Order: sequence, then structure tokens, then C-alpha cells
Amino acid sequence: MLTEMLIVILSPSSSRTINISVSGIQSTRDTNGVIGCPSRKSFIGECNNDVTPQPLYQADPAAAQSKASRLFLDEISAGSASDQTTATGSFTMPFSRSIFGSSRISSQSTIESVNEEIEDTFPKRDLPINFPEVQRKRDIVKEHVTEDMLKEVTDISISETDSISLLDIPSTFVSVDADDAEATMERNNQYAELCRNRMGNDKYVDQSVQTLNGAAKNKQVQSDSIMMVDSATTVTTWDMYDSLISPEQCEELCSQELRRADCPEVGVDTSRGAERSVSVGSTASSGNSEGEVEAFGSGLNAESDLQLIMLSERFHHSLLVMERSILGNTFQPKLAAYRQLPVTHEPDSLVQPGMVEQREEDTHSPPSPAVERLWTFSCELSRGRSVHTMAWNKKNPDLLAVGYGEFGFSNQKPGLVCCWSLKNPTWPERAIQCDSAVTSLDFSSNNPSQLAVGMQDGSIAIYNVKNQESEMFFTSVCSECPNRHLDPVWQLRWTQQELSPTGEEEIESLFSVAADGRISKWFICRSGLDCIDLMKLKKIQTTKKKVGGTQTESVLSALTPGLCFDFHPTDSSVYLVGTWEGLVHKCSCSNNQQFLETYRKHFCPVNCITWSPLSPDVFLSCSSDWTIQLWKQDRHHPMLGFSSTQTAVCDIKWSPKWATVFGAVNEGQLAIWDLNSSLLEPIIVQPAAAGVKMKSLLFATQTDCVLVGDSDGQVAVYQLKNLSVGESSQVQLLDRVQSDVSEDYSACLNGL
Amino acid sequence: MLTRIEAHKSVIGTIVVNADGIPIRTTLDNSTANQYAGLFRQLTLMARSTVRDIDPQNDLLVLRVRSKKHEILVAPENDFLLIVIQNECE
Repeated sequence: MLTEMLIVILSPSSSRTINISVSGIQSTRDTNGVIGCPSRKSFIGECNNDVTPQPLYQADPAAAQSKASRLFLDEISAGSASDQTTATGSFTMPFSRSIFGSSRISSQSTIESVNEEIEDTFPKRDLPINFPEVQRKRDIVKEHVTEDMLKEVTDISISETDSISLLDIPSTFVSVDADDAEATMERNNQYAELCRNRMGNDKYVDQSVQTLNGAAKNKQVQSDSIMMVDSATTVTTWDMYDSLISPEQCEELCSQELRRADCPEVGVDTSRGAERSVSVGSTASSGNSEGEVEAFGSGLNAESDLQLIMLSERFHHSLLVMERSILGNTFQPKLAAYRQLPVTHEPDSLVQPGMVEQREEDTHSPPSPAVERLWTFSCELSRGRSVHTMAWNKKNPDLLAVGYGEFGFSNQKPGLVCCWSLKNPTWPERAIQCDSAVTSLDFSSNNPSQLAVGMQDGSIAIYNVKNQESEMFFTSVCSECPNRHLDPVWQLRWTQQELSPTGEEEIESLFSVAADGRISKWFICRSGLDCIDLMKLKKIQTTKKKVGGTQTESVLSALTPGLCFDFHPTDSSVYLVGTWEGLVHKCSCSNNQQFLETYRKHFCPVNCITWSPLSPDVFLSCSSDWTIQLWKQDRHHPMLGFSSTQTAVCDIKWSPKWATVFGAVNEGQLAIWDLNSSLLEPIIVQPAAAGVKMKSLLFATQTDCVLVGDSDGQVAVYQLKNLSVGESSQVQLLDRVQSDVSEDYSACLNGL
Repeated sequence: MLTRIEAHKSVIGTIVVNADGIPIRTTLDNSTANQYAGLFRQLTLMARSTVRDIDPQNDLLVLRVRSKKHEILVAPENDFLLIVIQNECE
């Protein structure tokens, strides 16, 4: 192998650091590999360190290896270099190159001369242009080199060399079948043998070479700091639901909020708008501590807010709920008693000891039937008006409609219908003003929100009480309906008739009985209500004789006012009518000319008539002749008659739960009769409050409570207590009836 | 309707709070109203979140806090808060 050495000598004597370095090595080997030699570069460190790569091979005196005929020194200017003692160099090392056939290198001296000149020579590059200049500069300003050179700004460039491949012997493959395979194999064998013999062989000397690591350089880069922002959100189930399922509602609410933000009433819109977040779920705003600060600045805003809030529907709804809750607290014991729930007592209330005593008293004394007044439906609206009629809603048993009206001829106040809810006894849910006094009411069962109202002037109106402003569905006012009643409508009833021709549903019709002697069936036609007459109540004059003669009588209406009627509970085509004359007629819907039967007993107007809901053939009638009569359907004479006071009995109702219990109201008292226990006297008598006349009665369907309306506009709820009723009331009733019948007969026989 | 509630004999006070936590109508004094408003706002948000977490179609109607001395009813809505303080009845 040919090696040529090029020695680059760095002069160490100067105090100044060397800023010139050697060029790259270019050497090749003959057989294998090419060592690429890059262009010569200067390795100048920033701190003017000498970062020149050290020579890879120390020139050995055993340079007998180098068979190179000449040694090249790359522009070693010995003379000038020796003068430049500025090169400090911490070392002087010959730098050897091995060049193969290179013509680039010009050298002047031999190794020996180089070795001698090691101390003084300075390698000179030819490529770096500034180097000679620098050198010349150094030459020129040799004396002042220290100061000026130090201050001078030098261009320092460091670039990367190409990769230097020191040894590259790619392996070759020779096929076994090739021609010179044997030679190769022999050589391989020789080599293997050589390797085996290598250990301990004198021919081979181990020598280690250290690759020098270059000085590491630290490079720092500074970047802008990254802003970190913490963001967190709480995910809740309802939040996800809101955003997924009901986006329309969110938009609505958003638009509402935005509208409010744009409200031009106050000028401070922007701040408010910024505060209102668009997302519906989060109404969070600044905390309470800021509220006070804001309160001052946005005092005007608060008013507009208040208005908007007050008008909003949700506020009303909230108020409704709130009011009911409050009242529920207040009335909780009463309502619980009504609904037959256990009453909760305040844990720490002072009233408790007294109540405990009371309870003990109760347990001692035998319980007697009594009514306990629970509460009263009353408000300013209704005060002073007389209650005439009450009706429960068919669908919602907590809803009660009460009709008020004054009947005095002198003062004809307009009537009022109030719909009360059990949950709020202090204010009606709906209050409907009517033109004239209300005489009858009924809720429809097919459409539970329809309420039919009959009035004193004969008109009938149907209201829809579902909405807050109950609207009038239909009305029969004088000009509209030719067939309207001309006299007070005393009773209204919605009844389901037989199946419609299609046989699918039952049609419900409104029936009314009025003082003009007509019983009408109403239906809805194009312009309103219209009716057809079911029956005209003709006067039956078999026993009476009119003084005025029949002539004048024919001028007057030949009809007698009907005061009440009731449809048979199961057979809805049969109904009973009570008339002014004291007669009770049984009629049929299909026959509008004749009565099926007539029951005579009363000699005063029959005020109320009612079928028993539990016993199919029995009905009660009460009249102004102070009596109550119990009838059986097929008998012309009443089974029983009751009379306890000497005032007209205004109203009578069967109890919906017990077949033997019914209640009657006359002007001074409420009387509950139980046929089971006593025939002669009512078991419970509740006198009316002073100055107040009780007018109407209604049993509660689900519980054992009784509602009594009086002439002061109050509806009192009484609870029946300790009413001991037998188990099978129906059977007992019939038994009783039959036994009474036998008594009657025996009495008659005895009397006769 | 609000006047009816306020006129009820067992009701000590009512507060209507708007969406920002400011009482806009109250029968109590301002500082108390502010205090109630701030405290109950958090509670109603939490209660409402609880109710809706269990069933997202449900919603909180009224929150009642019954204490020894009185009972506080809160009706939360999106836009406002209605607080009523009621005395022990009877």
C-alpha cells in the first residue's frame, strides 16, 4: 500500500490560538475503497479554540512504511510560518496523509525536514482565501498582532466534512462452481489459518488506535413559552340530553334570552348581553358578592327583568306550584284527613301536648257519628253570593265547580262560576263571570274540561275550563237560539245515551229542565246550541180546581215548571222529573208525549230528586213541604218518608259509598240520615253557622266527605266521622225497605 | 298571584331573583334577600343537576328546605328563582 504522508505542523509557540487548520486528508487505497477527501476546511472554533481535527496517524519514525517517494506538505510555508509564532497550538503533531497518486498536493520537504520544522512550520491552506490574507495580515502586523488581532472580527465558518471512510472492504462472493473458486477457497483457508495462528504469533503485533472524539458543542435555542390554559367542564347526564335531544328548546330559550338582552328599555345592554351565556344549562353568573355591585349599576335592568319575569308563563306556573305548596303546608292535616291519610304532626310544635290529650279523650269516649269541618272554599270573589249548585269534575276528582248567584228579585247580580281545586282552598283556579245567576252546573264526562252552565235567564253556556282564560264554547243566548229556555234552567245533566248507530261510542248529550216546563236535549249545531224538546210538562189537574176557570188558564202556559230531574243510573233513557206541583214523573226519552208514571206524594215543589247509585230501583225526592220521600220504582207510594225539621229541604243526595246513607240540606242544617241506624232521625245534624243558610250539598266521591254550600258564598267541607255502617248496605237496604213495607201495610190495616 | 302569596298569613317573606342573582322583588330587607339569593342559587343548581342526572327528562319543580324555625320553598327556573319563606303553620 502506498501511503504518503503529509505532515501539517502547527506552531505552538505563539500565545495566540491557531485559527487555521489543516485540510482534509485525501488518501486512497489501491484495491479497495476510496476515501473521499473533502475540500479543505478550516476548523475554527468560536472561542478561537483550536478545533482542528487531530491527525489520525502519528508519524512514526518507523515511517519505513511509507514508501512514498515524496512527502507532500500542503503549502507549508516554512519560512513564513516560522515567523508566525502566533500560532499557539497546544500541540504540534505531524499530520500525515496518505495519498495515492494525488497530484494536488504540493510539498516541499521530506519527512525529516518536516520533522525539523515541526516546531516552526505552520500549515498553510490554499483554499481558505482569507487565510493567506490573515497570514499576511499577521505578517504585516506582526508586532501589534496581539491587540489588533484580538479585536478583529473574524469570520468563522465551520462546515461539516464529508464522511471519511477509512476502510471499506466489501466482501465478494464467489460461487463454488466458478472457475477461480479454488483460488478463492484456498485464500480463505489461508486466512482462516492465519487467524488461528494469530494468537501468540510474532508476526503480528496488536496495536490499538483511538478515535478521538470531537469536542462537543452545546447549542441553545430559546423559544417562546407556551401558554397553558386550564379548561374544564363538568359533564352531566342532563347536559348531554339537553344538547342532543332538545336543541329546539335550547334555541328558543336562547332567543328569548337574547331578546331580553336587546331590550331597549335600558341602555346597558352590552354588559348584560355579555353576561348572559348562550348555553341554556348554565345560568351561572357572577357570585353574590358581585351582585351588590351590579345591583346599583343595573337597577334599571332589574325592573325590566321583573316585568319580563312577571309576565312569563313559567313564572306563573312556578307561582302556582309555590302557592299550592304553601297551602299544602298549611292545610296539610286537613287535606290528609280528606284523603284519609295519616296526619303528620310537627315534631317540635307547642300544640302537641294539647293534641295528645285530645286524642286520649277520644279514645275514652265512644265514638259517635259526627262531622268535622275541614276547610272552606271561599274567597272575596264569592263572598256574598249564594251557592246554588256544585259539581265535581268527572275526570279529576279534585276539581270542583261551584255556581253562584243571587236570586232575589231585587238584586240581580251577574252570576259567577268558580272552579276550585282541592289543593288551593283560598283562590279558585278559574273564575268565570256569567251574565246572570247560575242555577245549574255539570261537567261533561266525554270532554272533561267542558262545563255546562245553566243560568237564571234561561241561557245555557258551555265553557272550556282547560286554559287559564276559560273560553266559552257555545252559548245559547236569546238572539241566537230560538228554542232556548225562557225561564231559569234548574238542572243540567250530561248523559251518555245509547250507542250511536255505528255502535262504537256513546254520544253524550246535554239535557236540561227549566222552569218553562220543557225538558230539552241540546246538541251543537252550526251556530251554537240547539235543542229539541224531550218532554213538555203538562199540568195535571185531576185533583185541583182552578178558580179562574180553564179559559184563562189556556192563555197561560200549560206547562208546569220542572225543578229537577235525574237519569236512571243504568238505563239512561229513563228519567225522573220533579215538578212545581209536587209530582214526580217518570219519563222516557223515546216517548215525549206521555209520562210513564207519576208519583204523587208531595204537595209542594219537588226540589230535588235522585236515584240511588247503588240500589237500582230506589230514589229519593225532597220538597219544600219539609219531607223527604223514599220511593221504589214500581210503587206508586213512597216507601218511607222522612221529616225532621220544619223548613223546606233544599237538596238531597245519596252517599256514593253507602247505600243507606244520604244527606239532606235544609236552610238551617245539614242532616245525614242513615237508614240503617235510624229511620226517624238523622244521625248527624250539623247546624249552619249563624246567619247563613245552607243551600246545596254534594258528596265527595272518593272519600267520606260532604260539601255544603251556603248563602254566603262559602263551600264548607265536612268529614263524616265514625259513621258505623254495616257491611252489605245494599242488601240491608232492601231488607229494610221490605220490612217497612210490611210495616206500612200493617199500619194501614191497623189504622183502617 | 304573587300578592296573594305574600299576603298569606304564614308566609314570612318572598324573594324573586333574576338570572344574575339579584333579588328584584322582595318583601324582606335587601341584605337578607341578597344572602338568601346567593345561597339558594347554588343549592338549587345542585339539586336540579341531581334530579336531572337521574333522569334527564325530569326536572326540579320545588325544593323545600324545612328547618326548625321555618320552611323555605324554592322554585327554580332558567330565568329566575322564586323563594318563599313560610313559618311553621298552625
